Amino acid sequence: MICERCKIREANIQYTEIVNGVKTEHHFCAQCARELDFGPYSAIFDGDFPLGKLLSGLLGIGETPEEEDTASQVVCPTCGLSYEEFVKNSWFGCPDCYGVFDLLISDKIKQLQGSESHKGKRPAKIRYEAEKKASAGAAAGAHPEEEAKGARSQETAREELRVLQARLHEALKREEYETAAWCRDRMKELREEIGE
Amino acid sequence: MMRWYEQADAERPAVIGSRVRLVRNWDEYVFPTRLTPEDGAAMLGRLKRALRELGEVDGRDYEYLELETLGDLERKALGERRVINSAIASKKTPTGLLVSENEDTSIVLNGTDHIRIQMLDTGLRLRELWNRADRVDDFIGGKISYAFDEKYGYLTTFPTNMGTGLRASVLLHLPSLSMGRKFNGMVTEMSRFGATVKGVYGEGSENYGALYTVSNQKTLGISEREILDLVTKVALQLSNQEEKVRHMALEKHRLEWEDEAYKSYGVLKYARRLSRKDAMTFLSQLMLGLREGLMQTRQPCSVYSLMLGIQPANLQKNSDRPLDKEELDMARAAYLRAELPELK
Repeated sequence: MICERCKIREANIQYTEIVNGVKTEHHFCAQCARELDFGPYSAIFDGDFPLGKLLSGLLGIGETPEEEDTASQVVCPTCGLSYEEFVKNSWFGCPDCYGVFDLLISDKIKQLQGSESHKGKRPAKIRYEAEKKASAGAAAGAHPEEEAKGARSQETAREELRVLQARLHEALKREEYETAAWCRDRMKELREEIGE
Repeated sequence: MMRWYEQADAERPAVIGSRVRLVRNWDEYVFPTRLTPEDGAAMLGRLKRALRELGEVDGRDYEYLELETLGDLERKALGERRVINSAIASKKTPTGLLVSENEDTSIVLNGTDHIRIQMLDTGLRLRELWNRADRVDDFIGGKISYAFDEKYGYLTTFPTNMGTGLRASVLLHLPSLSMGRKFNGMVTEMSRFGATVKGVYGEGSENYGALYTVSNQKTLGISEREILDLVTKVALQLSNQEEKVRHMALEKHRLEWEDEAYKSYGVLKYARRLSRKDAMTFLSQLMLGLREGLMQTRQPCSVYSLMLGIQPANLQKNSDRPLDKEELDMARAAYLRAELPELK
C-alpha cells in the first residue's frame, strides 16, 4: 500500500483513530508519520527511535493525571530513584526498586515481556538453600540458625501479605477478578504457612 | 593468537556466528546507574579479586583492562569488534573488562549492569555457548550473592533484560533473501514468534553488507532452553530460506553471480579509496562468492574479519595521527589490499 500523504513511499504504519465511536484508518510511511502529530505517540516516530522513549510510552502510567501524581512520588528508599524517573529513563536504580514499584509496574511488565513471572535458572545458592530447607524441615528439632532464618522468612511472608493486600484492593477496583482471586488464594496460603 | 572470528567456518553458508549474553547484579550494591564512582571502584576491586580463578574454571587466559583508562579510540574499536556494546564504550565511570586472548569471551564489570558475560563463536552454536556461560555464571554466583527475585528472576538495570538476563543471538548473512519483496513480511512474522531480526550496518531502511542478527525479544517467563531453541529455530529458518533462494538464483544466473563476485574482489584488491558503505557492499558480494564456491582464495579468508577490520576506529587505531574522512577511505583501501589473499 502507498502512503496516503506523500503517495510515493510504501506505507508501513497503520494508524487507527477512534473518536466518539467513529473509527478511521490511515496508512502512512515512516517519514510522513514523523512529520504528523500523533500526540503522546509521536516519540515512536522520532528519527533515532530511542528505546527508552518507547518504553516510557509503554510503562507510562496515568490514566488520570491525579493517579500519575501520587504514583510518581513513590521513591525507592535504597537508591532514591523516583517512579517518575523510572518511567522517564526506563531503568531501575537498584534491586530493591523492583519490590518498591512492584504494584505499579507489574501490569506494564506483563505488557512489555508478555509475562510477569520468571521461569528458568535460579542462582545456585538459592537452589542449595531451598534443598537444605526442605531437608531441615524433614528433620525434627530445628537448629538455632534455622530458627533465625524461620523468623526472617516470617517477616518476608508478612511483607508479601501487605503487598498482596494492596494488589487485591487494586485488582478489585479495576474489576480484574482473576487476579483478585489469585491474590486471595496466595494470602490464604501464606497465612497458613506462618500460622496466623 | 587468532581471534575467534578469524577462523573461516563453512558449515552453513549463511550463518556467521553466535552470541550469548548474560547480565547479573550483585545484591549488595545499587545498579551502576545510581552507584557513586567511589562505590563503583570499591565494588570493582572486590569483583576483580573474586574472579581471580576464572581462567582456571573456564580454561582461558584472561586479561583485565580498566576501560576508563583506555583511549576513546581503543574503546570504540572494542565496540566495533563487539567485545563491548556501545553504551559501555562511551561510559566514563570505573568499568572493568575481562577479555580472553582470542576475544571470544568478555566479562564487563560495572558496565550498565554489575556483570555482563558474553561468549561468541563461529557457526550456529548457541547451546555450547550457553553451557559455558552457565558454568561461568555458577562460578561467579558462588563468589557473590546475585540480586534475584522469585517473581522477577535475575534483577537487571533495564526491564528488557529482567528474568533470565539472557540474550541469545545469531549473526546471519542474507544477501539474497533480503533483496526479495517478502523479506520484510518474514521479519514481521518472526517477531510474532518472539524473535527480533535487525540489520547490523547502515542507517534507517538501508543495510549494507546484508548482515542481520536474530535474537530473543523477551527475557521473562521464558526459560533459557526455550530462548536458545527459539533463536536457533528462527536462525535456521532464515538461513535455509537464504540457501534456497541462492541455489535457485545460481542455477539460472551463475555467470552474473560469478561476475559480481570477481568484480567485487577486483575493486577490493586494487582500489585506492573505499568508503565504508562501498567496502561493505563489495565484501558482502565476496562473502557470497567464496561461500558458494564461485571462487577460492589461496589462503583461508574470513570475510567477516575483514568487515570488522574496515570499521573506522579499527582502521584509525593503526595510524599514529587522526585521519579525516578522505584519509580513512585511503587507509581502508590499503588495509584491504594488504589483507585480501590472492585468488587461486
